[in-house]
Amino acid sequence: MKIDREEAQRIADLAHLELDDAALVRMAEEMTKILTYIDQLREIDVKGFEEHAGSQPTPFREDGVGVGQALSLSRQAGELALHQAGELALHDAIRRNAPQWSEGFFVVPKVIGGE
Amino acid sequence: MSDLLELPWHEAKSQASPREYLDACFAAIESHDPQLHAFLHVNRDAAGDGLPIGIKDNIVTTDMPTTCASRILGSFTSPYDATVIARLRARGAAIVGKTNLDEFAMGSSTEHSAFGVTRNPWNPNCVAGGSSGGSAAAVAARMVPAALGSETGGSVRQPAALCGVVGVKPTYGRVSRWGLVAFASGLDQIGVVTKTVRESAEVLGIIAGHDEMDSTSSSQPVDDYAADLDAGVRGMRFGVVREAVEQLTGEVRGNFDEAIKVLRGAGAIVEEASVPTIGYAIAVYYIVANAEASANLSRFDGIRYGRRSPNARTLAEVYSDSRGEGFGAEVKRRIMLGTFALSSGYYDAYYGRAQQVRARLRHDFAQAFAKFDFLITPTTPEPAFEIGAKTNDPLSMYLSDIFTAPANLVGVPAIAVPSGFAKSGLPLSLQITASHFTERAMFRAAAAYERETEFWRTSPRA
Repeated sequence: MKIDREEAQRIADLAHLELDDAALVRMAEEMTKILTYIDQLREIDVKGFEEHAGSQPTPFREDGVGVGQALSLSRQAGELALHQAGELALHDAIRRNAPQWSEGFFVVPKVIGGE
Repeated sequence: MSDLLELPWHEAKSQASPREYLDACFAAIESHDPQLHAFLHVNRDAAGDGLPIGIKDNIVTTDMPTTCASRILGSFTSPYDATVIARLRARGAAIVGKTNLDEFAMGSSTEHSAFGVTRNPWNPNCVAGGSSGGSAAAVAARMVPAALGSETGGSVRQPAALCGVVGVKPTYGRVSRWGLVAFASGLDQIGVVTKTVRESAEVLGIIAGHDEMDSTSSSQPVDDYAADLDAGVRGMRFGVVREAVEQLTGEVRGNFDEAIKVLRGAGAIVEEASVPTIGYAIAVYYIVANAEASANLSRFDGIRYGRRSPNARTLAEVYSDSRGEGFGAEVKRRIMLGTFALSSGYYDAYYGRAQQVRARLRHDFAQAFAKFDFLITPTTPEPAFEIGAKTNDPLSMYLSDIFTAPANLVGVPAIAVPSGFAKSGLPLSLQITASHFTERAMFRAAAAYERETEFWRTSPRA
């Protein structure tokens, strides 16, 4: 499979990756080489194996009270102070990890009418 | 002090207090890590009366940052502990530090870490393997008795092999992945690096088991993995995977033939097995794993955590510039390959085809396990290679995982056990693969081989 510079640009756009011109050319060459190796998969007879190979069937569980519900139940049960302390600590951890944050929100460049 | 760290943990803990042992670990890190660079963070305040352990830096901890060896995560520190960390802490483990890896666990040499390569304790000009190279080097250099790694295509077993230590990948679903930064969710599994098989069995026993936070974790009861370690392999059936072994040459071949003799000498039945599609595993792996990675890594977008590009002016640029500047070359390559394999017009030919070949590979393994208790190959096709030898040739780097990736695609457990040394002095390794959820038997087999050979007693520090 041959990947050219334009195809590499199309894929980079899909993946939201900014690559400069030199990087795109190199990427196209490397992808061509790797995909040529991968093309050997066409040789194999997969008759009878058309079903996708999941490792396990999707596991299900009975409905029950999970972590989220337990929190809201504890709120109802009047453990409001304890609940709020936990929520504030989590809130604080999220704020500290955010690149830009204001008044409880993540800040992003203006989307509507911004460009 | 260093003698203490040469002992397996279960022997050392009767000869020193937990504090003395932990201090010995910190002293060893101080003297060896400046050269080896196995650790990205060390927590000098780590405490615990139990096992001191290193943690691959793609497993989240509340008391240290988690970087995934990537610039895109910035100074991220998790608000919660991974389930494996919580389980270790509950047993008194001291979380000593976070170990180096290829960025987002994508690589086979730890050269793709954004923070510098980890060196091999047996020869600092060689790689430690990867992606869990920091974990393997930390254990091999006797800085910690154990470390956790993660596997998607051999990232625990391959570096363990290159560093001369024991590395285990359990059955898919055996260990909770809550708090493991996702690479390829259909393949990822947390594993353990130790000096000996007994330590490996004991640590896996602590971290294994169902977790309601990870719906892919199995509810099968956890076996007592150390129960049969002394039971031997008399009458057990080992299959030598013909299609893998027939390509071997030189020292690796000779070493593997020796391992077969050792197993036969211990009473095992060793015969030829066939897994006809095993040679296609790397091709399947680089489609399936990268497709899943391209989706999983879309969460790193510079919005909620991690590094945001200072150059971005629009929202679209926040995404593409933050990712373009934050991800290293190998991560970009894999996201590109994965995005391509899932893109309109190529999905059936690549992702669909790879899943079909994977189904056939599973079938071939099941056929082999109908005749054999275990399948054996060398863990890697060659010992540790020199730093820089493969960085310009991604495909040759990928082929380092040719014997390890099949177990991830099939979901079965496998273990790498030291099998001696090449003439260069670099370690070699035997891989024992077992069928789903038969870790207890696999540890028994590995322990029997280890008892006959005792290569773990040779230390790179000697």
